[in-house]
Parts: sequence; structure tokens; C-alpha cells
Amino acid sequence: MADRSITFVKKILATGEPCGKCRDVEDRLTAGGHWPAIDRVVVADERDPDSEGMRLAVELGVERAPFFVVQTGTKTVIYTVFLKFVKEVLDAANDTDKAQLLLAENPGLDLI
Amino acid sequence: MATRSIETKTQDSLDERNAESVIADAFERFGPEQIAISFSGAEDVVLIDIATKIRPDVQVFSLDTGRLHPETYRFIERIRDHYDIRIDLLMPDAQDVQDLVSRKGLFSFYRDGHQECCSIRKIKPLRRHLSGLDAWVTGQRRDQSVTRVDVPLEQDDAAFSTIDHRVVKFNPLAGWTSEDVWAYIRGNDVPYNPLHDAGFMSIGCEPCTRPVGPHEHERNGRWWWEEAAGKECGLHAQNVRAVKFVGHNGH
Repeated sequence: MADRSITFVKKILATGEPCGKCRDVEDRLTAGGHWPAIDRVVVADERDPDSEGMRLAVELGVERAPFFVVQTGTKTVIYTVFLKFVKEVLDAANDTDKAQLLLAENPGLDLI
Repeated sequence: MATRSIETKTQDSLDERNAESVIADAFERFGPEQIAISFSGAEDVVLIDIATKIRPDVQVFSLDTGRLHPETYRFIERIRDHYDIRIDLLMPDAQDVQDLVSRKGLFSFYRDGHQECCSIRKIKPLRRHLSGLDAWVTGQRRDQSVTRVDVPLEQDDAAFSTIDHRVVKFNPLAGWTSEDVWAYIRGNDVPYNPLHDAGFMSIGCEPCTRPVGPHEHERNGRWWWEEAAGKECGLHAQNVRAVKFVGHNGH
């Protein structure tokens, strides 16, 4: 899509390490061959409130990382659930992704 | 009638019909090939005890994740013999499990959360099985978890229904408490998983379940390591406030 821009915001912990979830999402982006769809990677650095990712989180009202910002024309959509992003934006969810998304949307199912 | 506590619920509220009535109603509406009971190998054995008195050849299935406690496997077999029923063990797709374990090892859930593993070992086999049924019966109770506080006695199962195939879910124990369940088990000499005697309130996969203390909620016995991991993902409020402060005053 020509006028679509995707920003991936990942978090760096106070220790300087990436947060575990962000690392997992990066691994999944790699495994799924999705990196070409990502236009920008922005860091929310816990050690630096002025880091671009922290500022973006404040601006957009996002309280958890990682998250994706999808800008299409004047429309901005935030995805904090990676699999929802994969399914709705990349249209690339496989059966396991869909099952995991189903679990995310129905949290009690894992107790079955 | 199964127990006094169930009868009391019927008298008190229409919404809390007794579990026996809920199951009987479900069996009247769905034939033997259309409905099945989901059995986790824990205290939801109560469902089997009630249901087999109404329909002795009731369909029962369990999700065999491959990671259950040995005690649970033995308990499932004990229940199979005790009630003389067939229990279908639903297993995950071998290739899915092999891919996950090859990529991430046997204990990836401690690092990445349990959702991916549960999706492969539970959700996909469950979805596959429910595609061949019109209704299922679960032991879900409102007192089990914050994710279950709104569980109704009966619901259209939006998670597993499709445009072409409606699935109904019955939760006959929705209004029961843990105390109700154990009163029933003791009052009716129902066999139970010996892990309960070891302090397990919630019994799932072996690596993801642990005993809880006398005053702990049963949810604390599952995925206990994830609360800390979840906090790690937060964009800390103090930092966010700091950015706002700079934004208003510095620029």
C-alpha cells in the first residue's frame, strides 16, 4: 500500500537490555519474513524519557511496549497485540497465529 | 437430585438453575453425537458424575497437551474405568509441537509467555474437535479467575462458532464455588485427582501449575511467573509523566 507507513516501537529496559516481549516480537518478525513491511523502528528507552518511543507512547496514549503505529493517509491505528497486527495489517496470520489471537481475545480459554 | 447445594441454587435464582437441569436441558436439545463434555482431569469430574446419570454414553474429551502431570493421566484412566465411558484424548499437531520445541525449546513459556504453547497444545486441537460438534459442556466457574467472572450458564460460543456453524457452550457449574464443588465430590464419593491433596487447586500442565497456599486464589497456581514479565513491558508511568512535564514546560 503506497501511502501506508508502519512504525515498530520497542522498549529498552533500564538495564540496557531489550524487554523480553519486544525481543520475541522481533524474532517473530524475522521468522515470518515481515521486516520489509516495517518502515521505521523506534526505541522507547526507559533510561531516557525523551527517547522518541517514550514521546510517541505519551502522544498516542500507549502504556505497553512493543506496539505498532500504522499510518494510512490521515488515519492512525495503534496495535498493541502483535498477532492482531499480523492478521489485520500484514494479512499473514497462519493457523497457530489465529489460535493465539483467539486466546488473546478470550483469555479464559487457556484454563480449559 | 445431586446435592442439596444445587437444589438451593435452583430455589434462589432462575439464573442459578441446578447443574443437573442445565445438563439435562443441553442433552434434550443436542443428541449424543452433537454434544460433548470437556474434562480437564481436575475437579470438573463433577460434570461427568452428573452427566453419566442422565446419559451414560455421554461423549467426553480431554486435551492431552503432552505435558500433563502423570497423576492426571492416571486419573483420566481411572475415570474412564469408573464410569465406563469413552474419553477422547485430543492431541496437538505433531509438526506444530516439533516446530515450537525446535525453535524455542521445551520451556519457552517461562520466557515468552504461555500463549503460544497453549495455542498449539490446547486451542488448535480444541478448535478442530469443536468443528465437529454443535455444543460442548465445560466446568468453568465464575470464582476461578478474573477472566471468568461473567461466565453464563449457556452461551453462543463466539470463539469457536463460524458463519456456517454455530457452537453453543454450557457452563453448568458457572455459579458454583470451589466449596460447592468439593461438597459435591465428598457427598457423592466422586473420584478426584490426587494432586488436589497435594495443594493443587487448579490443575493444568505440569510445568505451568503449582500448589497454592490455603488463602491464595487458585489462579495463583497458574503461570505465576508472568506477572513480573508483564510489568517488564509497561512504559513506566513515572517516565511518561516526566515526558509530559517536559512537554508542557520545556517546549
